[in-house]
Amino acid sequence: MEEFLTLLLAGVSVGAVYGLIAIGLNLTFWTTKTMNFGQGSVMMLCAMLTATMIAQGWPQVLSILAALAVIVVLMVFTETYTVRPALKIEGSMGWAVSTLGVGIVLQGFASLWFGSQALAFPDIIFSAIDDVVVFGVHMSLQYLAVLVLALVLVVAFELLVRGTVWGRAMRAVSMDADLASVIGIPVRIIVLGSYIGSGVLAGISGILVAQIGGTVDPAFGFELVIFGFVAAVLGGMGSTTGALAGGLVAGVLQQMVGGYISSAAQHGMAFALLILILVVRPQGLFGQREVVKV
Amino acid sequence: MIIAFRTVLTRLITHPVFILAAIAALFFGSAFLSGGTVAILGFLMLNILLAQSMNLLTGIAGQISLGHAGFYGMGAYASGILMKTVGLPFVVTVPAAALIGALTGYLLSFPAGRVREFYLAMMTLAFGLIFREVVREWDDLTGGAVGLSGVPSTTLRTLHVFGYTLDGLDYFRVILIVTVIVMWLVHNFIQSRYGRAFYAIHASEVAAGCLGIPRAGTKQLAYTLAAGMAGLAGGLYAHMIGYLGPESFDLARSIAVLVTTVVGGLGSMAGQIMSAVVFTFLPEKLQVFAEYQFIVYGLILAFTLILLPRGLAGLLLLPPRFIKPSSLRHAVAAEVAIRPVETDKDAALVVQGVTMRFGGLTAVDDVSLELHPGRITALIGPNGSGKSTLVNVISGIYTPAAGSVRFFGETITGLPDHRIAASGLLRTFQDPRLVPRFTVRENLLLGAHRRYKSSALAATLGLPSAAREEAQFLGTVEAVTRMAGISDVLDQPLESLPYGYRRLVEVGRALLAEPRAILLDEPAAGLSEAEMTLLARMIRAMKEAGLMVLLIEHHMDFVAELVDDVVVLDSGRVIYHGDIGGMRQSPEVIAAYLGTAETEHA
Repeated sequence: MEEFLTLLLAGVSVGAVYGLIAIGLNLTFWTTKTMNFGQGSVMMLCAMLTATMIAQGWPQVLSILAALAVIVVLMVFTETYTVRPALKIEGSMGWAVSTLGVGIVLQGFASLWFGSQALAFPDIIFSAIDDVVVFGVHMSLQYLAVLVLALVLVVAFELLVRGTVWGRAMRAVSMDADLASVIGIPVRIIVLGSYIGSGVLAGISGILVAQIGGTVDPAFGFELVIFGFVAAVLGGMGSTTGALAGGLVAGVLQQMVGGYISSAAQHGMAFALLILILVVRPQGLFGQREVVKV
Repeated sequence: MIIAFRTVLTRLITHPVFILAAIAALFFGSAFLSGGTVAILGFLMLNILLAQSMNLLTGIAGQISLGHAGFYGMGAYASGILMKTVGLPFVVTVPAAALIGALTGYLLSFPAGRVREFYLAMMTLAFGLIFREVVREWDDLTGGAVGLSGVPSTTLRTLHVFGYTLDGLDYFRVILIVTVIVMWLVHNFIQSRYGRAFYAIHASEVAAGCLGIPRAGTKQLAYTLAAGMAGLAGGLYAHMIGYLGPESFDLARSIAVLVTTVVGGLGSMAGQIMSAVVFTFLPEKLQVFAEYQFIVYGLILAFTLILLPRGLAGLLLLPPRFIKPSSLRHAVAAEVAIRPVETDKDAALVVQGVTMRFGGLTAVDDVSLELHPGRITALIGPNGSGKSTLVNVISGIYTPAAGSVRFFGETITGLPDHRIAASGLLRTFQDPRLVPRFTVRENLLLGAHRRYKSSALAATLGLPSAAREEAQFLGTVEAVTRMAGISDVLDQPLESLPYGYRRLVEVGRALLAEPRAILLDEPAAGLSEAEMTLLARMIRAMKEAGLMVLLIEHHMDFVAELVDDVVVLDSGRVIYHGDIGGMRQSPEVIAAYLGTAETEHA
């Protein structure tokens, strides 16, 4: 029982982070029908920079903010020089390949600067051994903190999208960018903003996952993005509630399969889930079927 | 100057004598090279195979694979395990590797018909990453992270074929021959209706579907073939060094294959060879390159498609063509462009009570109309009245909320577009949807896709039956272009032609499908007077041949001299049905076009 609850908490907590990654992917999908295939490297870079700066003796909050600032610059570059020009290319090939390219470059530089060894990630609030006893079960405070933080971010994000002018403007762009531009919405800024937001969410997710795992290395991130994508597809591309639900399902399943079956099956599980949902219900649990305008 | 250079270089490298000489030089010349160099040449062949595989998938069919190392690894482990653990012979394990690769690609691409291509791109990325993890974890079978050693190989002198022990040189020759044969087959395939169908799906899925090309099946075939080729390369790789480790099949390997293809030039087989040479020898000869390889690869991916979309091939060579030159030489002259249509008592297209909604908007509201052989029906109405939506419903792009469409007595409502096209119901689009890089001839031949009888195997092997069929359709293409008045631009790429030509080509392409009914969506828009005369001639020829014709058009003079019946739509409803004289008198039609005067109840 204790093992089950521990796995469940780990699954829910990791799953909430997957949901956060998925929301980051959704954000650019809304505005441009694109997503950053190099998102994994954004997560890695943010976590690596944070870890390095803290190791240099910077205050933790300042390190995180500085790392996020670097991510913002990076996303502006990505959108301007690799996504926008690539939209001219027929289909998804242009931007899928170019954003993956940026991710590969970042991974290459990270290996060069930091070496390919894993960097220890410092404990930010709690350490891995802090726990709290609930109903006689030891629960890791780190997992709980990550869960709470991820949930708070998801709710804040949803309020931002629903309640503010910018959120409404973004939804207008997602419906019809040309029309939005005609009625005076600064489409260019919204699109850029969606990339920045997406990068910031990825960066925070990177820090959260690194906090749980305790280390970060240059290859960190690629597989996490796959889980984020599984979460997004499972919940239905574009749906925030769906992303969170999909993330939780993927996270819990992953921990359960990993805990009770094997870690090989754990890796295969995400993939099986992805292929299954795309075959059976490509619009996901909460998404709407895409109508292709001809 | 540049064009002349490209022409000369293209002629040279595609000349059979040059190709045979190059193969012979490699085959016999390798005997005078060091063992190390021969080994690198072997890797070069494998890289060429992988690049050709990626090119077929990405360059021709427009689908993305970010996990090619996964397919490659499937093949390598399959052949390695089958030979080392099960004890099967080389001649079984290597084909098995190709089959297992193909099966993987087939299963992976199951969602192909239902989702857009980037979903599959992400799936291949996931597959590549997960393949490596599973190999690392499943150590009973794969040797895990330590790897699988002792696979029979030439390095260990343990690879036997029919009792003969192969050394490095023999094995290189085996790989060379396999590569040459595979490339010959792929080349035949690309220059057949299948290659053209792959490229048509790449250019516009909707347009391809409306010519009878099934998008799901075509994409799945592309993944299957490409993964099979990668699996074959993997099977050959397994016996080169006798050791398989998971890190040989990681993301970096997948990226390297993608980089080779993008740099070589999407769509060009020759470009793939050039690029494979560069990326095989560069890391070997240039240590600095090896060090910064990942960063360089990333930069190439980030910017090549934007800055140099056609890669090396685009710089050095003429664009690849999709019809065999030999078929062109043997084109059989055809007498008529349009064969008379056989009709029977059910010969009609009956649209009954069709309603189509988009969210809260009812675009087509309870519309009924009939088309009959040898009659031209005009569909008229103001912008936004639902004309194109109705055509999209009839041609199977949309499924209506209510109502039915029957064609020759069969209900076709809700069938996929390619099935409807296959039943002989063809259409054109308001904005011509052709393949921009195809020549006029290639675009037209695409129309005949549904009429081909010869199999993919016959086309791939270049059998005479397939060649004869191609030659016949090439004859019909010429007859159609004579009627359309576009014979002088037959071999020009479509993207270089003015708009009017594109419209005529699109109508001609639909005719090559030998339709029994044709739906023309504003075919005269943007045409000059002379072009309109040609178009009118084509439409009359369709009527004479007994086709059912639906003509959406705003140009009233053009409509008036052609049509038999008129249906007028307004806000999705039929407001008039009859002849054109009556239409001009109809108060409803006048109101729809000119608006009513303010009346007492307004």
